[in-house]
Amino acid sequence: MHPKAWVMWLLAAVVPAFTVRNPLYLILVLGAAWVVYLTLGRTTVGASWGSFVKVGLFFLAVSLVFNMISTHVGQHVLFRLPAAWPIVGGAITLEAAVAGLVNGLALLTILIVFATFNAGVDHYQLLRSIPAFLFQVGVVLSIAVTFVPHMVWSAQEIRQVQRIRGHRFRGVRDLLPLVLPLLANSLERAVQLAEAMEARGFGSVADSVPRRRVLGLQIGLVGALLAVLGGLSILSFFSGDGWWGWAMVVGGAIGALMILGAWGRLSRRTNYRRVPWTWRDTAVVATSAGALAAVVLAQLARVEALTYNPFSPHGLWPAFDARLGMALLGLALPALRGLTGPQGEEPSTGPAVGSGFGHWPSPPDGGGSGTTEDIA
Amino acid sequence: MIQFERLSYRYPGNQEPVLRDLSFQIEEGEFLLVMGPSGAGKSTLLRSLNGLVPHFYGGTISGRVRVADRDPVAIGPKGMADTVGLVFQDPEAQFVVDKVEDEVAFAMENLGLDPVVMRKRVEEVLDQLGIAHLRHRSVNQLSGGERQRVAIAAALTLQPRVLVLDEPTSQLDPQAAEEVLDALVKLNQDLGLTIVLSEHRLERVVQYVDRILYLPGNGQPPILDEPRTVLGQIDLVPPLVRLAKALDWHPLPLTIKEGRQFVRSVRGCETLLSGSPLPGLARSGLAVIQVHELGFSYNGRPALQNVCLKVRQGEFVALMGRNGSGKTTLLKQMVGLLKPDRGLVRLLDPDSRRSLDTRQATVDEIIRFVGYVPQNPNMLLFNDTVRQELDFTRRAHGLPPGRYEPLLRSLGLTAYLDHYPRDLSVGERQRVALASILAAEPCILLLDEPTRGLDYHQKRALADFLQGQKAGGHTIIMATHDVELVAECADRVVLLADGQVVVDGPARQVMSESLVFASQINKLFRRRELLTVDDVLRSPPVVEGACNGS
Repeated sequence: MHPKAWVMWLLAAVVPAFTVRNPLYLILVLGAAWVVYLTLGRTTVGASWGSFVKVGLFFLAVSLVFNMISTHVGQHVLFRLPAAWPIVGGAITLEAAVAGLVNGLALLTILIVFATFNAGVDHYQLLRSIPAFLFQVGVVLSIAVTFVPHMVWSAQEIRQVQRIRGHRFRGVRDLLPLVLPLLANSLERAVQLAEAMEARGFGSVADSVPRRRVLGLQIGLVGALLAVLGGLSILSFFSGDGWWGWAMVVGGAIGALMILGAWGRLSRRTNYRRVPWTWRDTAVVATSAGALAAVVLAQLARVEALTYNPFSPHGLWPAFDARLGMALLGLALPALRGLTGPQGEEPSTGPAVGSGFGHWPSPPDGGGSGTTEDIA
Repeated sequence: MIQFERLSYRYPGNQEPVLRDLSFQIEEGEFLLVMGPSGAGKSTLLRSLNGLVPHFYGGTISGRVRVADRDPVAIGPKGMADTVGLVFQDPEAQFVVDKVEDEVAFAMENLGLDPVVMRKRVEEVLDQLGIAHLRHRSVNQLSGGERQRVAIAAALTLQPRVLVLDEPTSQLDPQAAEEVLDALVKLNQDLGLTIVLSEHRLERVVQYVDRILYLPGNGQPPILDEPRTVLGQIDLVPPLVRLAKALDWHPLPLTIKEGRQFVRSVRGCETLLSGSPLPGLARSGLAVIQVHELGFSYNGRPALQNVCLKVRQGEFVALMGRNGSGKTTLLKQMVGLLKPDRGLVRLLDPDSRRSLDTRQATVDEIIRFVGYVPQNPNMLLFNDTVRQELDFTRRAHGLPPGRYEPLLRSLGLTAYLDHYPRDLSVGERQRVALASILAAEPCILLLDEPTRGLDYHQKRALADFLQGQKAGGHTIIMATHDVELVAECADRVVLLADGQVVVDGPARQVMSESLVFASQINKLFRRRELLTVDDVLRSPPVVEGACNGS
């Protein structure tokens, strides 16, 4: 599936998860996301999916318990805690439990939606489809994200070896033997990666770009941002007739975007593989947009089914509008077989580590036909 | 293809230049090995080929470099990306993108190549390196050898004129190293690609290269010549060449095949016998480490299965096996960093005769007599001076600061007592880490890959030092890929595969029965009595002079 279609799907799934508090709709969204995940068939990201689910269930439990012991309103009393206990004392009601459960469910839904998006979308492909002037920032961010697990691992290792050296970590000052090597090692690794990226031409600018052009763009960008800043301060200080403040903000913002766009065109990047846009992507975007529109329209029309309040005088059973339900069901469309595209069909050859022992390694196969003039 | 004219380079903040007045010329299609003691400027030289030196590091440079008639000093690394492809030592630290195929295309995207061209070239390099089947995999799932081949593929897509590799196999096990070198030889021979490679373990590469550039360091002039000529002049040589020099074999053999001809043609050598009988495993002595049916897994992935092992006091055990076979995990179990899932590890303090079960014992009880030196010395070292490092360990053990001269002298570190550890070379840092653990005087020593980045001299010194420790009654367990080091000093080899003990026996027997883990000398004579150069030189026919080739 095209990353842009995935982004549309994410948007359509996340907006109801954030705004709707009706458990029936939340369950619909959650179920749709879950089914989509199941059809992805990716095993490699399973670990992160598991931790998303665990965190979500944890919040669900916390929300449930917290609501039960802190809210003592409702008609269906389950049991009572001694009224003398501060805060937790009083009637423990079914309504409070349900309210807590719904809050937790909303959080779980948000997490599952993001986890599915995370598992389904090809991150680098997504990075490629953002505007060129953001690309470098995007790469840096994505590297920073991959750095985190490595630093955690590294910190654990260092902690272990210092402990084995006899050091005890008791107070803040004892952290020095952990922090110093960690910083030094991370820096070293960052330098290595920077070298490797530089050597492969990262951040190359087309040869023909004159330095003066770049300087001009930089000055222009600073000017545009100053205009935005100036406009904002005018708006906040002179509360009266601020039309020229607005003009400066809007003009500055448009200017900045144009300059960034021009800047992006200076970089010589191309994309290795454009993911083709297929009718499936169109279908996903259409149903997602439908779901999103339905939710937004319902919000604007203040449809009652969007909110849910278990406490009297409302009933415990939430209202349900079937039209909105149908629209949300469309979020499960990517789960239909074949829609997720080739990413779902990874070859499942096992890793070669430790697969054999005591044999000469087999020579790398294939490749005898590589054309000579292309490399030499 | 590559010309250096009186090139000198000094890192910022350093007084002495790393490279001094370097002049040489490398032809198109050559396979060049750059070697020399650690700290002689090999990495610096390689980085000057694409302009990382001086553009990335600063410093002062003088003289002239030309690579394919382009000037890297003027153009800089980004501009040189399509002329020089660079592959680094650590396969993990050079990947930007998660997926193999995207990683390979990364450089081409940066230079703005046409997507149609990119598709074609990606297919070609994937085939050339034999990694087409890995294209959809995440780089994190690959083995070390596969990762390095991906890194090479990624460097090749810009169709550079020169491929430069900075110790590409130093972190790989022998099998993975072979994979990578095979790929390089093919690129050089089939495509005529110019390759410049630095490497410490010459026995792995010396037979493939056309010429050797030897950087002696200390401002002495480099030597650039045919492998045989260079190896004849220096003493940083692999075991086979060392033996050949000692026995006066001409021309110097570079491969086992060439060496065997001397063995056959010289009368007396077929009957070489070592003076000493084959030592078996120690049958007596205190069992200081007992591993019983040990099982352990990381998050459900089994790392050790049913491992049984008994180590007696004074033994020198080498743990061998591929990357990921469980060597480090087993060491960590022995020092109580990891606790068994199944089975148990029992440690015996040889002094107090107290027995500890690692499941119950605290770390402090264990480290009173067990020392663990991690693979990466940078994890350990953080103090301002070497002396403070050693003091730190002793203080942590509740010991008063000691006298370190004898220890440092035997490790060759006396001069560095007041130096900042991170400023030292890799080999020196490795030894400082060792010293900082030995400062607490453990009688069981666990070493994880102690020879990464060491040259032959440093390795020899380390082997001698460890032998001395063993003679002093220490028990040593060392996880390593280094076949030659094991041949020099271990009495016993335990081979691990997939978290299981596959073979456990006397070093000579295990090493002579294995293809991958045999030492060069052993492959040469195919006799289990002979593992090292010294074994041969001490054997009666050689001592009596029957074996001299001349």
